Amino acid sequence: MPETGAPSPGRLSSTWVVTARELGSYFDSPIAYVYATAFLVLSCGAFMNSFFLASVADMSAYFESLPFLLILFAPAITMRTWSEERAQQTFELIVTLPLRSAELIVGKYLAALLFYLLILAGSLPLVVMLVWLGDPDLGLIAAGYLGAACLGALLLAGGVFVSSLTRNQVVAFVLGAALACLFVFSGHAAIVEVVDGLTPSWQVGTRLYESVSVLPHYQAFTGGLVGLGHLLYFGLLSGFFLWMNELALRQSRM
Amino acid sequence: MTVIDVKQVTKTYGDLVAVDDVSLAVGRPEVVGFVGPNGAGKSTVLKMLSTFALPTAGTLTVDGLDVVEQALEVRRRIGYLPGDTPLYHEMRVGDFLAFVARARGLRGGDLTAGLDRVVDLCDVGEVTHRSIGQCSTGFRQRLGLAAALVHDPPVLLLDEPTHGFDPLQVMAFRDLLTELKSERAILFSTHIIQDVEAISDRVLIIHQGRLLGDGPVASLATAAGAPGAGLEDTFARLVRTRTQPRGTGGPDA
Repeated sequence: MPETGAPSPGRLSSTWVVTARELGSYFDSPIAYVYATAFLVLSCGAFMNSFFLASVADMSAYFESLPFLLILFAPAITMRTWSEERAQQTFELIVTLPLRSAELIVGKYLAALLFYLLILAGSLPLVVMLVWLGDPDLGLIAAGYLGAACLGALLLAGGVFVSSLTRNQVVAFVLGAALACLFVFSGHAAIVEVVDGLTPSWQVGTRLYESVSVLPHYQAFTGGLVGLGHLLYFGLLSGFFLWMNELALRQSRM
Repeated sequence: MTVIDVKQVTKTYGDLVAVDDVSLAVGRPEVVGFVGPNGAGKSTVLKMLSTFALPTAGTLTVDGLDVVEQALEVRRRIGYLPGDTPLYHEMRVGDFLAFVARARGLRGGDLTAGLDRVVDLCDVGEVTHRSIGQCSTGFRQRLGLAAALVHDPPVLLLDEPTHGFDPLQVMAFRDLLTELKSERAILFSTHIIQDVEAISDRVLIIHQGRLLGDGPVASLATAAGAPGAGLEDTFARLVRTRTQPRGTGGPDA
């Protein structure tokens, strides 16, 4: 006679079950291949253009374009994470499986992150090309890739969270892009200047640059500086968004 | 032995009273049919038992475990088929079943045995490589059932399990429930009265969020003042005599 249904698996194991399903679902549709191709063409295209003009064996042009590309690509990856579950009504199925909400959230988030890292790894042939043609600073390039991974981790965490707020993928995309815009453009010198000009006594532009913007932290990585403070910025903010996702899931059970 | 215990449960959505002071119990082994029109509150009760929705008032327990406080443990003990059978349409049939089985903690030999058992039991073996979206409504319903059974749960909650079935599939489902009921507590909802009469040991009649009757069909007919009447007549009499017109009813199908 069945007594308890099924054993209790480990948390890591359960998280990985969710990650594997989500990662598989990216590749079950042609959209993943379209995203990957468009991202690689745009990011590598921007690099090649700069590389031929400047003839310098480094990846700075690639890393400089990345935050602006991710404003659109990060929410494109995450927009379906929860909103599609709600639209297809599979939300009821997945949240009544014996999985903790943390396992569901982290599992989905890891899938988005792995998908992004896979696309990011598509630019590694550029590094091989630079080594073949010149003598690039490989430490600097590695720090840049670490920064790119951290930047993606943060924007994806924000995207996964906003996807939990709506059943409409387009709304999730727009909200995610708006959030990414705030993080990226608040670090852009021209934007900071304009916002400061609009709020001379409050200096809102400078305050946002110092407290919110992702660019100073990301540029530290691309400049070769891997500091604990910068890692904490990315780690804590990503964790904050995942925690907000947990609150949103709890609210949905009401 | 009481396995599902619902005590004075009320569920509201804003001003809408979906379930109004409902109490019920299901033992093991027992098959109980939950019957009522669309929007009567059947699905809302099942959603609360499955831990998907929280009650506004009252308590629900499964195997002595509170569905609010011990939700994870409750989920391990139940097999739940939600209404409209939500499935990942882009996934292949076999991959979907394997995902649900793994999410339910099955690994290694238990995983293989569980999958083999439900593929055979629910007759979903013929197209394991096909995308779920390409399968018929009846097949998808069987697949949802297979997913609910893959971990061999002691408690089954099935919301409109015969939806989309042809008459042959309904008969096969009746046989399946008969096979399963010897060791389980089974609560299923339907608005098709013939299903309930054929399968259930006991019937719960719900209308406008309120439980109007609880017992075998013969007892309900006597209580409704029509000894020997079928469930359809009994249901109509109970609805006429025990309800007052009011704007209630849940968001369920």
